[in-house]
Amino acid sequence: MTQSRSPRAKIGKGLQILLLLAYAVFALFPLLWMFIMSIKPDSQMLTTTFIFTPTLENYATVLHSDYMQFFFNNLIVSVAAVLVSLVVGVPAAYALARFQFKGKEDIAFTILSFRFAPEILVILPLYLIYQRLGLYDTYFGLIWVYQLITLPLLIWILRGFFEDISPDIEAAAQLDGYTWWQVFLRVLLPLVKPGLVAAGLLCFIFAWNSFTFPLLLSNNVQTSTVIALRYLASDTVHYGQVAAAAAISALPEVILALLIQKHLVRGLSFGAVKG
Amino acid sequence: MASIQLSGLTKFYGKRRGVEDVSLEVGDQEFLTVFGPAGAGKTTTLNLIAGIVTPDRGSIRIGDKTVDALEPADRNVAMVFESYALYPQFTVYQNMAFPLRSPKHRLPATEVEQRVRHFATMLKIDHLLDRQIQALSNGQRQRTALGRALVRRPDVFLMDEPLSHLDAKLRHSMRAELKEMRSQLGTTTIYVTHDYLEAMSLGDRVAVINQGRILQVGTPEEVYFRPATVEVAQLFGDPEINLIEAKIRSRQSTSVRVQALGEDWSFPITPEIGSALDKLPGDNVQLGFRPADVMVGVNGNSSLHGVVYSFEPLGTKSVLTIDSVAGQRVRALVDGHRTFQVDRRIEFSVPSASLIFFDPESTRYLVRSTRTEGDD
Amino acid sequence: MAELTLKTLTKVYTQAQSPAVDQLNLAVRDGEFIALLGPSGCGKSTTLRMVAGLESVTSGEIRIGNKLVNDLHPKDRGVGLAFENYALYPPLKVRDNLAFNLRAHGLGAKEINRRVDEIARTLQIQELLDLKPAALSSGQKQRVNMARAMVRRPSVLLLDEPLSHLDARLRVELRTEIKRLHAEQRFTTIIVTHDQLEAMALADRIAVMNEGVLEQFDTPLEVFNHPANEFVAGFLGEPPMNIFRTVVADAGRLVIPDTDFALPTTPAVKKLIGSRKELKLGIRPWGIRVSQTQTDGSVPGVIVVVEDLGDETRVGVRYSEVLIMSSIPVTRRYRPGLPVFLNFNEEDLNLFDPTTGERLSDGSDGSSQPAHETVGKNEIQAPVTR
Repeated sequence: MTQSRSPRAKIGKGLQILLLLAYAVFALFPLLWMFIMSIKPDSQMLTTTFIFTPTLENYATVLHSDYMQFFFNNLIVSVAAVLVSLVVGVPAAYALARFQFKGKEDIAFTILSFRFAPEILVILPLYLIYQRLGLYDTYFGLIWVYQLITLPLLIWILRGFFEDISPDIEAAAQLDGYTWWQVFLRVLLPLVKPGLVAAGLLCFIFAWNSFTFPLLLSNNVQTSTVIALRYLASDTVHYGQVAAAAAISALPEVILALLIQKHLVRGLSFGAVKG
Repeated sequence: MASIQLSGLTKFYGKRRGVEDVSLEVGDQEFLTVFGPAGAGKTTTLNLIAGIVTPDRGSIRIGDKTVDALEPADRNVAMVFESYALYPQFTVYQNMAFPLRSPKHRLPATEVEQRVRHFATMLKIDHLLDRQIQALSNGQRQRTALGRALVRRPDVFLMDEPLSHLDAKLRHSMRAELKEMRSQLGTTTIYVTHDYLEAMSLGDRVAVINQGRILQVGTPEEVYFRPATVEVAQLFGDPEINLIEAKIRSRQSTSVRVQALGEDWSFPITPEIGSALDKLPGDNVQLGFRPADVMVGVNGNSSLHGVVYSFEPLGTKSVLTIDSVAGQRVRALVDGHRTFQVDRRIEFSVPSASLIFFDPESTRYLVRSTRTEGDD
Repeated sequence: MAELTLKTLTKVYTQAQSPAVDQLNLAVRDGEFIALLGPSGCGKSTTLRMVAGLESVTSGEIRIGNKLVNDLHPKDRGVGLAFENYALYPPLKVRDNLAFNLRAHGLGAKEINRRVDEIARTLQIQELLDLKPAALSSGQKQRVNMARAMVRRPSVLLLDEPLSHLDARLRVELRTEIKRLHAEQRFTTIIVTHDQLEAMALADRIAVMNEGVLEQFDTPLEVFNHPANEFVAGFLGEPPMNIFRTVVADAGRLVIPDTDFALPTTPAVKKLIGSRKELKLGIRPWGIRVSQTQTDGSVPGVIVVVEDLGDETRVGVRYSEVLIMSSIPVTRRYRPGLPVFLNFNEEDLNLFDPTTGERLSDGSDGSSQPAHETVGKNEIQAPVTR
């Protein structure tokens, strides 16, 4: 007759679940730890683990300092970077998807390769260039350098989306009487919307998290990621405050990701699967 | 309504030839089918006429206007794509209304609704107007694509293999429906297909294209009974036309004796055939005859001999593959009620009226006996 | 070679509304070539995959040569697969591709080479043996695919739509080759196809499937001339059978609603109709005679479509809402708009029950039947009526 569920199969399934559970704990634990740290008073920081008297003191300290100013700096710079990437990247993605020209794949790969290089590698020459150009410590400078993070990602995701749309649809719309721009705005953009959402969100997260660039290319115009370290003072390390600052900093992206979770999954997988 | 004139159109994609030196005239309200195998250049031709692609050389006139410099939107041409190219985010109604709302047309909402409903009813999709495209079957999508082209009342219809993705039964009924519809619409149409039955059934004339070049343009009867070259003869008919080499042994004024398929056979010829054979440099000629014309199991002087290689019943007809004396294979279409045993000996003959003569060097059409027009 | 028996074979996919294959009973004789024919989604590919061992069985039995193979791995079932997406290994030459399977079964190099050469000769691919798959045309790939399936001398050969992606000329040629090959080698073969011409041409018997259910299992000519029900009647035949709804009017005539079409019936037909008030009428294009003169019992209409197709001419004749396709001798010149009269040959008439779709017959079907080998009717299971 048919194959029955053998004991072997059952053990295998149980093992699978166990492994997945272990991984979930592994992935989420740092976040949990950070949250615990942020509500633990400094005095109990190194002496206790999970049993302590929680306090909101750390959050109070952080919020009463000038921390929020840097929070908003980060917001401004990240959002602006994503917007710039959208304006530049969407047409670039379309060009790479549709047109044939010499060196196309080389250019595409070069753009992607910007993501390969660790930021530390290029930071020194960039620092010198930025000083020369007077871009050091400016909003504009940060937004521009963030393109190294956001633009390649956006272009690669959207390229896949544009490639998935049959060129016949554009031709049909043109024959129907629309100019190319109208076709782009009314037909193509709505079709790549899931990709736009996914790419936009991912780029925001990467820009928001950026550490090396703001650390070395900026001073007063600073972002919350860097500022969080300020609490590692020379006399004592206020771990609690560092954790609180980090928790506040992480909040926007976590909320955004949870809200648009559905679109994110769809956007990332849709563009990848062919035909 | 307009005539179409293509002059010397050429388009290369890098090294690959799309079309070369294509010249064609389509009369006002004529339904022309462009027929050829995959990759022959059919879609390229349509894309050139629509303006989606610009030619390397050559020009296009629609009506009395040269349209080479015009954008697709300005050519007043409607196209039904092989992939249908429907707007996935819109409903059926919105798809059909989209062209009428464009800057080119800008029709008032009431007229848009009227036209969309009129053609939706004609195509029997009026009950689907509020459906999303994803929820439609292939056949329904195809009708929507047709509807979107029809609502515009353009000068020219271009259709790119519209029936190819439908199952056999639907294809038959759509073909008959299309044929009926075209007399109602009366618009100049160019219809592209790789199915020779469609090409012959639907077209007033057929343009045969292969490897980017036009091989012949003529009525369905002309391309079938007087194919310009061996290549054209092979493209029509399923199974393919039988082609054999023949050596002329002797010739009188009204008959000829050839050696072909390893045997000698003689058959009567008309004076027309005689004078055409005179023009041949040598005594080799290529003969073509359709499987349906082969008469199997007939005794007589002109009988040829062979052995049954394979027998495939197809319902009303059956395909018989015969190994001739010389070893060359000949295919015959026989009535579905007859059965044949594999490896049995068999006799067959080919009526001289069915023979098409080709020049063996140039593979061009030479002559054939004139078809007798039927009595009623 | 061996027989293949399927007993109440069923496949239900989890969370599916209905079975993909529903209680299929099929008995394939040793050396027989059968076709699983049906539209996409009918369960034919699923059935083949279950026989191959690529799909698990929900319930039922698969026996090859009387051995139950349900739980056997594909390589232990003695089946040869030539599947659509079962690609050849790109880095290996054709010869090595063919030998690959044999090596896994512990045959010596000399024996392997002998078998490869033998199969290459049979399928005429000797000159391809030293090429790599990338250098082959699709027709050649198809033959190599079949060679690979046959090289292990399987008990049962399984072919999944082997001709579907080929151009017309190659399809016709390969069809002839497969037919010839089977006539010579007589492997027990099962082919899956949606192309009814292919099934008709190649199979000794055709199993017509629809929505997981076997509709009819018989020789091609039987399935064509005596379809078990409306579905089979409409599926086989190129062009398809004309089928329309008729109502039994007074005096036992059959009337197409909303038209003036009325077909007078003979006593024999009246007996078939029985007490039914409604029927479906089916007639193939060749069963209809078209002429310009009215005769007794003929039906009037107007030609709306004429298709000159070289060897044949087809016409579509319209009565109100109904379009009937027929064919006429090539020599007749008919044009659209011409009023004509149709006569239906009674022996080509098929009557179907309007609810079950079953064809009504008194068992002694007509005159136009050719002499053909009779099939052992006790091996065919009756199709499940819905």
